[in-house]
Amino acid sequence: MKLIRTNRKKSIFELSLQEKNLLDEVLKLYPLVPATHHRLSRKSNIAQPNDHQRLLEESLTAQREENRKYVQAMLHQPGHFETTTSGEQLALSGPEIEWLLQVLNDVRVGSWIALGSPDPDQDKKIAFNKKLLPHFRMMELAGEFEMVFLDALTGRASG
Amino acid sequence: MATTATPEVLPGIDRDEETDSQTGREPGYLVICWNDPVNLMDYVTHVFQVVFGWQRQKAEVHMLQVHNQGKSVLVRESMEKAEFYVHQLQKYTLHATMERD
Repeated sequence: MKLIRTNRKKSIFELSLQEKNLLDEVLKLYPLVPATHHRLSRKSNIAQPNDHQRLLEESLTAQREENRKYVQAMLHQPGHFETTTSGEQLALSGPEIEWLLQVLNDVRVGSWIALGSPDPDQDKKIAFNKKLLPHFRMMELAGEFEMVFLDALTGRASG
Repeated sequence: MATTATPEVLPGIDRDEETDSQTGREPGYLVICWNDPVNLMDYVTHVFQVVFGWQRQKAEVHMLQVHNQGKSVLVRESMEKAEFYVHQLQKYTLHATMERD
């Protein structure tokens, strides 16, 4: 996938059919991060931490439901993708790219959590097996798509 | 935060509206972003720019602080604003929390 042109209103991306299928595959996984993953505070040194934590989870759940509807619309409603002679074109506005970044990163982080939150700095490695391999693939794919969309937002052409 | 003046006050209950007697500042909450090995550096920089309206250079300084030092204190705010910022950062799946200053 690459950015082929961008202006104030829209960025146009070109994808091969295989890339489109991979993007679909990633997006279908959303949401992947468990609702209880995020904590408001590490030290619990804020007033009424349970109430605030509950509000945080409710807010994130509502946001994710909204995002999930957008994902469904993007995957199933006509108009987002246009078939060309060389594959597919995807036209997205700035706010749509922002939304898509949140969705892709949820899949990336959710896949990382499913892998056991590996961390080389803490010598926490992935114990690879057949069951975990799809999570690793999705984490890497989501990151690749993120980079292309980030390039579009910063005005950098992608190759 | 003052530790000697009001020992009978329970932490985190009703000191939010008071002024710190030693610093003269309103008690505040630090919005902290923590390092993790999964969020991409460019992505973190971008999120800081979007959430706080920072220039890229400032966002990169904080991103590198997260990356190299394990965390970065992004802003010091009232409880409501700190909570808002944490929500925004977590919407982007960054590892962010708020802590009492």
